[in-house]
Amino acid sequence: MIITSYAIGATRSYIYIRGEFDFGAKRLEEAIKEAHAKGYLGKNILGSGFEHEMYVHRGYGAYICGEETALLESIEGYRAQPRKKPPFPALAGLYGKPTVINNVETLSCIPAIIEKGAEWFKKLGPEKSPGPKIYCVSGHVKKPGLYELPMGTTARELIYGHCGGMLHETRPLKAFIPGGVSAPMLTPQDIDTPLDFDSLAAKGSMLGSGAVIVMDNSTCMVKMAYIINRFFSHESCGKCTPCRDGTPWLTKVLRRLEHGEGRPGDVELLESLCTNIFGRTFCPLGDGAVMALRGALKHFRQEFQYHVDHKMCPVS
Amino acid sequence: MVTVKINGIEVTVEDNTLILDAARQAGIDIPTFCYQADLMGVGSCRMCIVEIEGQKKLQPSCVTPVLHGMAINTETQAVQEARAGVLEFFLANHALDCPVCDKAGECELQDMVYRHGPHKGRHAEPKFKFHEKDYILSPVIVKNSNRCVNCMKCVRVCREVVGANVLGALGRGDHQEATSFARGPLDCDHCGNCIEVCPVGCFMRLPYRYKARPWDLKGADSVCSYCATGCRIVLEERDGVAVRSRAQLGVGINNETLCARGRFGFDYMTSPERITTPLIRKSGGLVPASWEEAFGFIKDAAASIPPDSIGAQPRGLRNEETYTFQKLMREALGSPNIDSSARWAHGAVEAFISAMAMDRGGVSVLDCVKTDTVFVIGAYVSEENPVTDYLIRRYSASRNMNVIVASPRAMKLDSSANLVVRHMPASEGALLEAVLAAMSGQEPDPKALGQAGISADEAKKIAAKLKGSESVGIMAGTDFLRYPSGIGALAKISAALEGLGKKVLRLPLLDRCNQRGAWEMGVHPALGPGYSRRETAGAGTDSMLDAARAGSLKMLYLAGTDLLAMNGDRGIAGEALAKLKLLVVQDMFLTETAKLAHVVLPGAALGEKDGTVTNQEGRVQAVKRLTRPPGKAMADLDIMTMLGSAIATGFPSKIKSASVFDEIRRETGIYETVDLAFNNKKNKGNGHDNKEALVRAAAARLEAKPDFKAAAPAGPDSYPFALVTGNHFFHSGTVSLRSETLAGLAREPVVEIGEEDAGKLGLSGGERVRVRGKNHEATMLLRVRKGTKKGVAFIPENFEGAHANMFFKRGEGIQRVLIERS
Repeated sequence: MIITSYAIGATRSYIYIRGEFDFGAKRLEEAIKEAHAKGYLGKNILGSGFEHEMYVHRGYGAYICGEETALLESIEGYRAQPRKKPPFPALAGLYGKPTVINNVETLSCIPAIIEKGAEWFKKLGPEKSPGPKIYCVSGHVKKPGLYELPMGTTARELIYGHCGGMLHETRPLKAFIPGGVSAPMLTPQDIDTPLDFDSLAAKGSMLGSGAVIVMDNSTCMVKMAYIINRFFSHESCGKCTPCRDGTPWLTKVLRRLEHGEGRPGDVELLESLCTNIFGRTFCPLGDGAVMALRGALKHFRQEFQYHVDHKMCPVS
Repeated sequence: MVTVKINGIEVTVEDNTLILDAARQAGIDIPTFCYQADLMGVGSCRMCIVEIEGQKKLQPSCVTPVLHGMAINTETQAVQEARAGVLEFFLANHALDCPVCDKAGECELQDMVYRHGPHKGRHAEPKFKFHEKDYILSPVIVKNSNRCVNCMKCVRVCREVVGANVLGALGRGDHQEATSFARGPLDCDHCGNCIEVCPVGCFMRLPYRYKARPWDLKGADSVCSYCATGCRIVLEERDGVAVRSRAQLGVGINNETLCARGRFGFDYMTSPERITTPLIRKSGGLVPASWEEAFGFIKDAAASIPPDSIGAQPRGLRNEETYTFQKLMREALGSPNIDSSARWAHGAVEAFISAMAMDRGGVSVLDCVKTDTVFVIGAYVSEENPVTDYLIRRYSASRNMNVIVASPRAMKLDSSANLVVRHMPASEGALLEAVLAAMSGQEPDPKALGQAGISADEAKKIAAKLKGSESVGIMAGTDFLRYPSGIGALAKISAALEGLGKKVLRLPLLDRCNQRGAWEMGVHPALGPGYSRRETAGAGTDSMLDAARAGSLKMLYLAGTDLLAMNGDRGIAGEALAKLKLLVVQDMFLTETAKLAHVVLPGAALGEKDGTVTNQEGRVQAVKRLTRPPGKAMADLDIMTMLGSAIATGFPSKIKSASVFDEIRRETGIYETVDLAFNNKKNKGNGHDNKEALVRAAAARLEAKPDFKAAAPAGPDSYPFALVTGNHFFHSGTVSLRSETLAGLAREPVVEIGEEDAGKLGLSGGERVRVRGKNHEATMLLRVRKGTKKGVAFIPENFEGAHANMFFKRGEGIQRVLIERS
């Protein structure tokens, strides 16, 4: 960050970290102190005359703060709600100043690239999106956790290789979400898809944050959709209408289905509400909620319908 | 310029025009909720989304600028479905309690759903409710969040236009609620602009609650009768009772904004204290009489009085009335003694008119705020002319410009200014002299600096900002009339700037409706209509009072003026009025002055007559009659003509207002080309600056000698505060005290000092304190303001029982007072 700031002439930089991550924040504070002591930060960095200060800003854990302009609002002390674009942050960002925003994962690649060279980096993963990727695997696998692997590792390799296979031998894979809850889920027939940007996009899903959620055949897809959607409606910032009022509506319908109170026409209602939300929201949060639900409906529509018709779950 | 196609219609618009505005220029209406001209766009409601050919997603037209060659469709099936979808979401958690909602009938949500919406509800889930019952946010605002559409216009108008910044949002997602901090009571300007911009029944007027349905109301275009900003309002009545005043988007310089006085202060019209019948003094008391008796009484009493009468007026009277009044006095009665202000010396008025170039025609406030530097001096603009304050705030936020505020007291506008100078009261002249010296490269005179209580650096900073601008807007207010010693420097600074080749726009900031109109109608001892100089000057207010005390002036005719409460020296005024043989007072209320009268004539409120008024810019605007005056009360013009025909021969007993205005056009010259027609039309282009309504320059320039000596401060040196006066935020003159709503906001006299002084005295706001001066002492509430100059105390001139003029004496300068815990 200091090098980037030097390159673009920025005198202030911020590291935004969620409020829950106490340990990480403390560690960063320590690191900044050390950098000050060594003269990597401050008025006259290493005698170059370049001045730079770095701050750790601890948010309060709102999901929307992952949206870069909402993050800027949060740092400025306002409600975390996305700003209209243009102007983009590169022109008018934090406090109206030109701002470069990067993910920590991106920045953490830089030392390795400097050390080992660009050629080495390019050789990792597929040609179009080279480099390592941290996959965060959770769900029904033997060894969930964080795996830093070359980009483009297939789902099969990740689940059955690195993670040691499904949790229970008797319960085979039902579906997996390749990149965070907003990515549409994929089924076992797509198990050999390389987990990179282009390959997943071709399958109608996305890499997103690289958080892989693995579900075996004991999972109720309605419940899954309900929990994911409840998250989105809880995290909706309230700025735009379709997301603010649409996602809670979806949640209410899904809750009824899950609780055996489905009504005829509910599945069609969900689909119609998805149409009214998707592409009409201010930021991609509402789109994310819709993509997740649409993914579940695409592959498991009959399971939803079963909840409506029989007022019970076919799985659990 | 770029050319775009909207629904197949080609339009050419300025670069960076929003799609929405381009469509409106092409005559295509796009529905909106969160969009409001003059507020920064947010693009959050998604009601205005349109299809741009070649783009996958629908785009919000209220924040998307047009690009050359863009093809936009606003009525495709996808757009229509999206609108209906958005409306369905609005309704999902909406209370749908239209039958008990004040907004029903003029609700934007109702209208939109009717036009674009789903006509069948699909939301069969439990609704989220913020609260069960409406809650009260302020004495004028009641709130129901269950009806909110989250457009956030209330929050934005409060922050961007009013500058009070007391509203925000609580919660997140569908629990997001725009309200005050923790829903607590608001301590704000109570201007109600949040109510006006609310598209639904979420923010509502408390005084108007459950009073009427919109379709029961009959409205009349009018102008606010308090300060001289000249805000356009629509007064509305039900069953002959005025129940609401509101502003309209795109009408007048105020657009949709008003202050508390404009929005809630109209209810003095329906006050039970209105005088409904003429009163005659009989055996010591005032008793009701008929109009014939009253006029007969005046005729008999005036018969033996030589033509030495006066009239002091401007309150609430229209141009037609003031013009007729001076004609009655000068032509029918043959008296040259006529003045328009009970408060200020007529010589100061004349010099101020000249220094502010009011005789050179009207200046639009909207041009004035579009200059490189706006310099506000001698005016407490945030409280005396709130809507002018809104305009400065709004323009300065969106333009690269300087705002300089020079005032002894801190004000809301300080936060929008990039240079704030706190000077001692009555030292505007010294401050300007110091600035003049700095502008010509000299070191400012230490004596002037000491008198103004500013540093050389501050004077130099003002000078640098003025010199660095190509155009300067000087907004000077009534403090120059109170302390005329500064007028000379005011004239000099404009001349100096013009000498440097700068464009100088001068806007007088006045605190009474139609103050300027009265001067232009010739209600001034030395000036006739249209600022023409009279060959022989009559006596001004102060001279008339002196003459009355000496017994040489025997009759006074006061129309709309509370002379006793407003004159600079209450002692002299009281003595003079008591000595009069005949005091005729024409007013709406039995004021302190009216109580001393021999005859009281019940006049009408501004909303009870047709005519025109002129605001501080010189903008002439029409007002229309809404209701009839109560009881036997009459329009003031009718009273004047009837009185005139009763006591003078040849004066017509009835004249039509319109024909008086035709005469005004002819006689004043400056009103000849004034266009009244436009003012009542709502204009869609949002170009609310109609320059044809401004008066034009007088044929001959008014020359006045601005040499006034400042009187030395009076009172013991040990008294630490210099006392200043002006209008209370919620009051203007004494009429506003009869407004139930405004009196409810501020009923008791207050004294205001700076935070530092209060801390030193160990006092805090809300405490009862005793203010002791050389001439008077009184107990009042203390108000503490952060940032006010040390050693400055302010007492508003409005409140009965503690009128500021009790502390003053003519011939004495600024009064020193002592403040102690009572």
